Amino acid sequence: MAGLWSGGVDALRALVETVMAAIEVPVLVYFLVINTSYLLLIGLAAWDLIHHRRRAEHAGHDETVASQLAPGVSVIVPAYNEEAGIVTSVQAMLALRYPRHEVVVVDDGSTDGTSDRLRAAFDLVPVERELPTDVPTRAAVTEVLVPRSGRTRLVLVRKNNSGRSDAVNVGINAASEPLVAMVDADSILDPDSLLGVAKPFADDPIRMVATGGAIRAANGCTVIDGRIVQIRMPGSRLARVQVVEYLRAFMLGRTGWSRFGALILISGAFGMFRRDVLVEVGGLDADSIGEDFELVMRIHRSLTDQRRDYRVQFVAEPISWTEVPVTARVLRSQRRRWHRGLWETLWKYRGMLGNPRYGRVGLVALPYYWAFELFAPLLELAGLVLVVLGLALGVVNLSYAYVFLAVAYGYAILVTLAAMTVEELSFHKYDRWRDLRSTLAASIWENVGYRQLTAWWRLEGWWAGLTGRKQVWGTMTRQGFAGTQPAAVEPALTGSPGPGPRDGSRG
Amino acid sequence: MSSRSLLLLAEVVIGLSCLVLALVIVGARLHRVRATRRTTRMVAPHRPMLLAVASGEDAEGSARAHLASLPSATWEHVRSTAVVMLAKVRGAPAETLVALLHAHAEVERALGWLRSRSAVRRARAAYLLGLLHDPANVPALVPLLSDPSPDVRLVAARSLGLIGDPAAAGAVLSAVPPRDGRMGIPAWVAAEALLGMGLGVAPVLRGALASADAGVRDVAVTVAGAGAFTSVLPQLRVLLDHDPLPEVRTGAAVALGRLGGPRDVAALIRCTAPSSPTTLRRTCVGALGELGDPSAVPALTALLDEPDRRLAELAAEALVRVGTAGAEVLLRCVGSTGPAGTVARGALDMARLRGQMPAASR
Repeated sequence: MAGLWSGGVDALRALVETVMAAIEVPVLVYFLVINTSYLLLIGLAAWDLIHHRRRAEHAGHDETVASQLAPGVSVIVPAYNEEAGIVTSVQAMLALRYPRHEVVVVDDGSTDGTSDRLRAAFDLVPVERELPTDVPTRAAVTEVLVPRSGRTRLVLVRKNNSGRSDAVNVGINAASEPLVAMVDADSILDPDSLLGVAKPFADDPIRMVATGGAIRAANGCTVIDGRIVQIRMPGSRLARVQVVEYLRAFMLGRTGWSRFGALILISGAFGMFRRDVLVEVGGLDADSIGEDFELVMRIHRSLTDQRRDYRVQFVAEPISWTEVPVTARVLRSQRRRWHRGLWETLWKYRGMLGNPRYGRVGLVALPYYWAFELFAPLLELAGLVLVVLGLALGVVNLSYAYVFLAVAYGYAILVTLAAMTVEELSFHKYDRWRDLRSTLAASIWENVGYRQLTAWWRLEGWWAGLTGRKQVWGTMTRQGFAGTQPAAVEPALTGSPGPGPRDGSRG
Repeated sequence: MSSRSLLLLAEVVIGLSCLVLALVIVGARLHRVRATRRTTRMVAPHRPMLLAVASGEDAEGSARAHLASLPSATWEHVRSTAVVMLAKVRGAPAETLVALLHAHAEVERALGWLRSRSAVRRARAAYLLGLLHDPANVPALVPLLSDPSPDVRLVAARSLGLIGDPAAAGAVLSAVPPRDGRMGIPAWVAAEALLGMGLGVAPVLRGALASADAGVRDVAVTVAGAGAFTSVLPQLRVLLDHDPLPEVRTGAAVALGRLGGPRDVAALIRCTAPSSPTTLRRTCVGALGELGDPSAVPALTALLDEPDRRLAELAAEALVRVGTAGAEVLLRCVGSTGPAGTVARGALDMARLRGQMPAASR
């Protein structure tokens, strides 16, 4: 028996040795390439952001505010059980600086008092309005309400529950302006947000079809009357790591892709689209888990197939602030969903992969997403398992393993620090020295611990997608930003029903 | 060199790079904090004077004299605040701020910057010259409409609009079409600039409406509608019927809705036919409502059953705007269980809330 065990261990050792010898260099190269690509994206973003900041003086935001010709915007706010903060959110959205905008709230069959709160706060009354069916929808609209004054540009559409994507599609049908902004009900927009994301449409009205706004973590910030008045790092370590992650992967990463002309993901939490293009492509896919990613991919495919000259752009400032998960349970659910959505969308549009017809999207962005977004958690965890196995079997020298991992993760920390440098030289949102200490510490945590954990969750999501399991949305009850008193945002998480955090971003 | 040595070398390089970046972050913050404090300290004593000038409360001119006498090192810090204020004020306070900029040779500097190699500097200079509202700067700004940088072209057009000299209208319009592979200035920027130049652009506008370039015609119809240029009505009618570009026809419909009269109803109704593009149909229905002529009522009534429900909704709203004749049609439809009844009830609901119901129909 002992001989059999010993033989088995020897065979395993030989196998691990062979595998490690075979993949040692490719894994290291993979790490080098993925982090170098991040650095390149950050470099592109830095160029763009510095240019953006230098243009601030003559950008002409005030002229846009006063312009009678600026394109009108319908802000679509899908809401499900958002009674805690919906009134403050809508008040803030109505008060955004923009010459012509309306707010369309779509209550997706909430079981709490979301609609009642709105009804009371804005003196809403029902009107008989038949919404057009420009975009196909599933659930029946039960009621349309508007303010009794008939002047405030707010519309509340109540419908049976059918999910966020269908709610947004109903909002697209109810929208009366040529541009449509999709905003989560729990998001807090900077006062100039609409000006920022609408400006590319005004500057290039024919070609611009979609813009994405930057998303940052609201946790820890002070909110008064639906506005961020003080930016602070969150108290939760998990949220602090996400602040750094959002900055590196989402904000600077997308700025880089936008600069490169191959942006394929606009977060559902804050994106603006030409309404006619949304109607043309059929709105959001209600069956998709990564509906925001899927939508942008569909726009790319459709417009390229029609040989149209078009642009999709990311705007790094201003910002939509959103709560990020502060418990592992909710974060796990979010990351599983994101990765599953990533897989399903990449698979759905596999025909575009490497296809020169789709230009930089097909030849660069999609191969990158396949290699460095979809497969990253698999390769990373496989490498770690092999190292641990190799150490246990004595195949790998401890000090060599240490050096190997130090190089791999040290480079990742370097990338995060590069992102923080760009932030410090451009927006420098977190102005306290204490916050700087926190972000520096978070740049290490992001790569040691957090990264491996999320890699595992992402694999779970991918597996669920491959095996066709039913997607279960995460649950996250929000405190909301209500009241005139300052509210430091730290979401309390319970198991009550409701939609999970809706940023469709993927790192 | 062995792979282990290579890894060790890489580790050292990465570690050092991390250290450098951490130092850059801390250094940048220290520099920024100090610079902000210094600027605040330098500007603070002069801020009340700036506010007095910008709010027009410097009747004796003492604040202006004080600010004009600032040494250049101090003025460098005050300058940007003065420029921001200049963008927000009009009349005498703006003139005083402009005089201050002259006193500190900012205008000469801006004129020099127009030839700078830096596009940001050229754009800043163009922006400042626009804020001065001085027609003497038009000849210096016009060449920037063909600048290699799209930013500079855009700022130059905006500045020409701020100055408001109709002499620049032709140049702004000619910067709209793409040239030499470069994007033209955005249509809305050109339109805003022309609107800022007032009625004096009418002759240029007439030429632009007949331009071979669709982008130029698009700008021209927008300006015609927003600026109430009634002298171009005959051209707008032609464009509505015959322009090959739907966007131009749509713009002409908007303009006719604002400026036209009963004789335009028939043409607008023709464009609501199902064969027209959706946007044009919807715009024409809105324009018929804007005109408010009762002769449009039968056509609008027929559209209440339209399969395009947004069009039907707009037709119902247009009927409200037509007045009593339109409202009566809607009231007759209210009892209907068909699609016309739904949009009629919706339009009447909204009209009541807005207090738009004609007295005879309440």
